Amino acid sequence: MSAPAGVGPAVSLRGIRKVFPGHRGAEDTVALEGVDLDIADGEFFSLLGPSGCGKTTLLRIIAGLEFPTSGSVRINGREVGLEPPDRRPVNTVFQAYALFPHMTIADNIAFGLRMKRVPSDEIRRRVTEALELVRLTGREDRMPSQVSGGQQQRVALARALVNRPEVLLLDEPLGALDLKLRQAMQLELKTLQERVGITFILVTHDQEEALAMSDRLGVMDGGELVQVGTPGEVYERPNTRFVANFLGDSNLLTATVVDDGALRLADGSIARATAGRPVGSTVTIALRPEHLDLRHADAPRDAHLDAVHGVVVKAFYMGSAIYYDVVLDGTEGMLIEVRQGNAPGIENYGVGERVRVRWNPHSTTVLAD
Amino acid sequence: MSALGAATARLRRPRPPRTLAPTRAVERLLAGNAWLVFAFLYLPIIALVVLSFNDNRLASVWGGASLRWYRELVSDAAVLSALRNSLIVAVASTVVATALGTAAAIALERFRWRGRRTFDGMLFLPVIIPDVTMAVMMLLFFVQVFRFAGNMLGITGAFGLTTIILSHVAFNISFVAIVVRARLAGMDHVLEEAAADLYASPWQSFRHVTLPLIAPGIAGGALLALTLSLDDVVITSFVAGPGSTTLPVYVFSLVRRGVTPLINAVSVLMLAGSMLLVIVSLSLQGRRTGGERRRDGQRSLPSA
Amino acid sequence: MSTSTGLEQDAVRAEARRGLLIGLPAIATLTVLFAIPLIIVVAYSFGTRTRTGRTDFSTLDLSAYQRLADPLVLEIVSRSLGYALLTTVICLIVGYPFAYHLATRTPRVRAVLLVLVMLPFWSNFLVRTYAWRVLLGSDGPLVRLLGALGIDDVVLLFTPFAIVLGLVYGFLPFMVLPLYAAIERIDHTLIEAARDLHASGWGAFRAVTLPLSRSGVIAGSVLVFIPAFGAYVTPELLGGSRTTMLGSYVVRQFLSARDWPFGSALSVAILAVMLLATTAYFRTGGRSL
Repeated sequence: MSAPAGVGPAVSLRGIRKVFPGHRGAEDTVALEGVDLDIADGEFFSLLGPSGCGKTTLLRIIAGLEFPTSGSVRINGREVGLEPPDRRPVNTVFQAYALFPHMTIADNIAFGLRMKRVPSDEIRRRVTEALELVRLTGREDRMPSQVSGGQQQRVALARALVNRPEVLLLDEPLGALDLKLRQAMQLELKTLQERVGITFILVTHDQEEALAMSDRLGVMDGGELVQVGTPGEVYERPNTRFVANFLGDSNLLTATVVDDGALRLADGSIARATAGRPVGSTVTIALRPEHLDLRHADAPRDAHLDAVHGVVVKAFYMGSAIYYDVVLDGTEGMLIEVRQGNAPGIENYGVGERVRVRWNPHSTTVLAD
Repeated sequence: MSALGAATARLRRPRPPRTLAPTRAVERLLAGNAWLVFAFLYLPIIALVVLSFNDNRLASVWGGASLRWYRELVSDAAVLSALRNSLIVAVASTVVATALGTAAAIALERFRWRGRRTFDGMLFLPVIIPDVTMAVMMLLFFVQVFRFAGNMLGITGAFGLTTIILSHVAFNISFVAIVVRARLAGMDHVLEEAAADLYASPWQSFRHVTLPLIAPGIAGGALLALTLSLDDVVITSFVAGPGSTTLPVYVFSLVRRGVTPLINAVSVLMLAGSMLLVIVSLSLQGRRTGGERRRDGQRSLPSA
Repeated sequence: MSTSTGLEQDAVRAEARRGLLIGLPAIATLTVLFAIPLIIVVAYSFGTRTRTGRTDFSTLDLSAYQRLADPLVLEIVSRSLGYALLTTVICLIVGYPFAYHLATRTPRVRAVLLVLVMLPFWSNFLVRTYAWRVLLGSDGPLVRLLGALGIDDVVLLFTPFAIVLGLVYGFLPFMVLPLYAAIERIDHTLIEAARDLHASGWGAFRAVTLPLSRSGVIAGSVLVFIPAFGAYVTPELLGGSRTTMLGSYVVRQFLSARDWPFGSALSVAILAVMLLATTAYFRTGGRSL
C-alpha cells in the first residue's frame, strides 16, 4: 500500500480506528478499523464504498472535523491528529457545499483568506483568480441561493482552492447534481486537479466516478480499507467478493485447485489460473460478464480459451449488447451472466439452447476470500 | 414500447389539485369559519380603538370623536411613571434574558456535556409553569432573601424595580432559549464545520457564521421576552414595591375599580406599541432569510 | 510513528468543558431565580399559618395539603378544570378548520394570514382581555345590540360565558399555530394516494390528514389547557365572585388572606397538574413544544 514514487506521501494514515459511543445503552459503533494509507503528493485519490462503510468518517478525520479514537494522521510528514480543523493545511468541499447563505459568492470564497488575515489586496487578487479558475467571473456579488447547483458546486471548489491547501478533500461533491452535469463536472474536476497540482481526496459511492477520475482509489467496506490500487488494478484484479461486485458486476464461481496453474470448475472443466493455494483447496474466481462470450455447445473448441457449458434461461436485448443468463452444468441452477457485444453478424441464442461460455484465461481473477 | 412509455408518462403527470381540494361547499364553510375567526380576533381591538376616541364617558353613547382621553393621559403622572417603569423593566430584563438564553441555547444545541439533560428539563419548566405559581415562587424567594440579608448581613432589601427585573429574567430566559434553539436546530451544523475547515477559530466561526444566521432567532426571542415582560401582571404585582408599579399592573388596578375611557386610551397606546414592535421585527426578519434548510421534494397541501 | 490514543477523549472532554462554560451563566441564574424559589415554595407548603398571618416552620406537616380536599377548594378546582377543558375543546373545534384553511392557501396569502393571526398574539394580553370587558359590559355595544333586537336584561359580563369567551380569545392562537404547522407539513401526495385508493374526500381526511396532524392537535391542546387552567387575568376581569378560578384563589391567599402555606400548597398542586399534562403530551409522542 505504499504510494507511487515521489518525495513523501502528502497524507499518511496509520492504524486509524474510530469508535462512536452508543447512546443510552446502545452498542458502540466501530466506524473505522486499522486503516493504513499513504496518498502521494499531487495524486487524485478516491475513497469508494457503499454508504456506512466509513469513507466519509475517514475524510472527516483527515479534515480534523472528527478525531480518531486511535491512530496517526500525518500531512506532508507533520502529525496533525491533535489539531483542530482550522490549523490544518487542508480544505474541504462539503457534500451539500455548505456555502454560507448570508454571504455573497465573493465573500464565501474570501472567507478562509480573511480568517488567515491575508492582506485585503491579496485577497481581492486571489478571489478574482479563483473565480476565473471556476469560470464564475461576474457572479461574485450574487448570493449562493441565486445561482444554479452546478455553480454552487464551483463556488465550493473555489472557496476551498483559493486557500492553496496542501490537500483538497471532496465529500461526494457531485452527488447533488443531475447525471449530465455530473459527467461534465467529472471531466472538469480532473482537469482542474491536473492544472492546480494539489492532492485531491474524493469520497464517493459512485464507482464510475471513482474509476474515471482517480489516479488511485481505495475501496472501503465495513470500516476497513479492502483494496487500494489504480482503477485498472482494482477493476481487473479485485481481491475480494465485495470488491468484485461493488465495482462492476462479477460472476463468482467456486473452483478446486488441481495443481499450480489449474482450477477445476463444477462441471469438471479446467480453468487456467494461479491460486497460490495448496492443491485440493476451494477457491472463488471472479469473471466479468463482459469478458465472457457464447458459442453453440457443439462448436469447435478454441485451445486458447477456457470454457464451461450450460443452458440459456434468459436473454435480454440491450441494444449495444445482449445479456444472457446461463445455468451452468454441474451446479444446482447456478447462473452466469454473459454480456455479448452486439455487432452485425453476431449470433443470437434462444432460451433453452445449450451453449459454451468462453473466456480468456487472463480475465480470471482468483479472490482472496 | 413507446406507447407504454407515453401511457406511464400520462399516469405520472400530477393530477390538477382542484380534484383534491375540498368540495366547493366545504371550501365555503372553511372560508366562512376563517372570516369569523378573524372578526373574533380583531373586533374587540377595533372597538377599543374607536371607543378611545369617544368623547362621551359611556361606551355605548357616541359623543363625537375627540382626543380628550389621550390629552388626559399624557398629563397623568401615575400613567407616565408606570410607563417609565414598564420600559425600564422590559428593556433590562430582555437584554439580560436574551444574553443568557442565547448562551443556554448554544450550550444545549451545539455541545455534549454532563448535566445537559437536567438543564434542558429545568429550562423547560418556566415555560409551562402558570404565572400565578411563578409569582408565588418569586414572592417567597425574595421574602427569604431579604430575611437572610437582614439577619446575616444587616442589609435591608426592598421590593422594587430590581425584584421585578430579576423575576422577569427568570421566566424570560427559557422563552429566549427555546426560540433561539429552534433557529440553531434549523441551521445546518455543517456550516460551522465549513468555517472551521476554512481556518476560522471557534470564536470566529460563531462571530461570522453562527451569529448572523441565528440573529433572526435572537431577535425573535428578544421580541418575545419584551412582549411577555410588557404583558405581565401577576408576577409583577407580587414583587412590585411602592413606586415601582408597571403599566399593566396600573391598568389592571384601574380596570378592577371600573372602566373609564382613560383606560381605553392607555390600552390603545399599549396595543400600538406592541404592534409597532411586531411590524419592526417582521420587516427585519423579512430582510434576513436564509440559513434554514428547506426540505426538498416534499409538497405541502394543495393551494385551492 | 506516533500513535495518538486517547486523543478523542481529550477532544470530547474539551467540548464538554466549553459547553458547560457557555451554559453556566444561565444555569446559575435559573438555579438561583427558579430552582431555589421552587424549593422555597415547596418548603412553605409544609409550614403552618400562625394567627398573625406569618408562616411557622417549626412543625412541618401536610395540613395545608389536607385543605385541598375542602369542598370549596374542590369546587374551584373542578370549575377551573371545566373552564380550561371547555376552552380547549372550543379552540380545537374552531381552530382546526381555521388552521386547515390557512394551510391550503397559496404561499403568499398564507404569509399574510399568518401575520394576521400572530398580531393579536403579540399584542398586550391584558388589553385584549380588557376589550371584552368593554364589549360585554352592561352598557356595552353587545348588550345594547341584543336590547335592540328585543332581548332585554341580558347579563354577559361576570358570567362563565364571559370567562370562557375570554380564555378562547386569549389562547386561540396557541391552538392555531401548532395545528397549522402540522397540517402544512403533510405531504399532499399522501392525500392523492388515498383518493387514488378510492377514499372519499372525507375518508381521505380521516385516514390521512387527521392522523398526520395529531401532533399539532396534542401540542395545541396542551398549549391552550395549561395557561387556561392557571389563568388569572381573564377570570379577574371577566368573571365574578361565583366564577372564581384557581389562579385568583391562589393570589387571594397571598394578597388578602395571608395564608402562605395554603397558597403554596395550591401552587404546588397546580404545578403538578401542569407537569402531568406535559408528561402525557410527551408520552403520546409529542415533540418539543
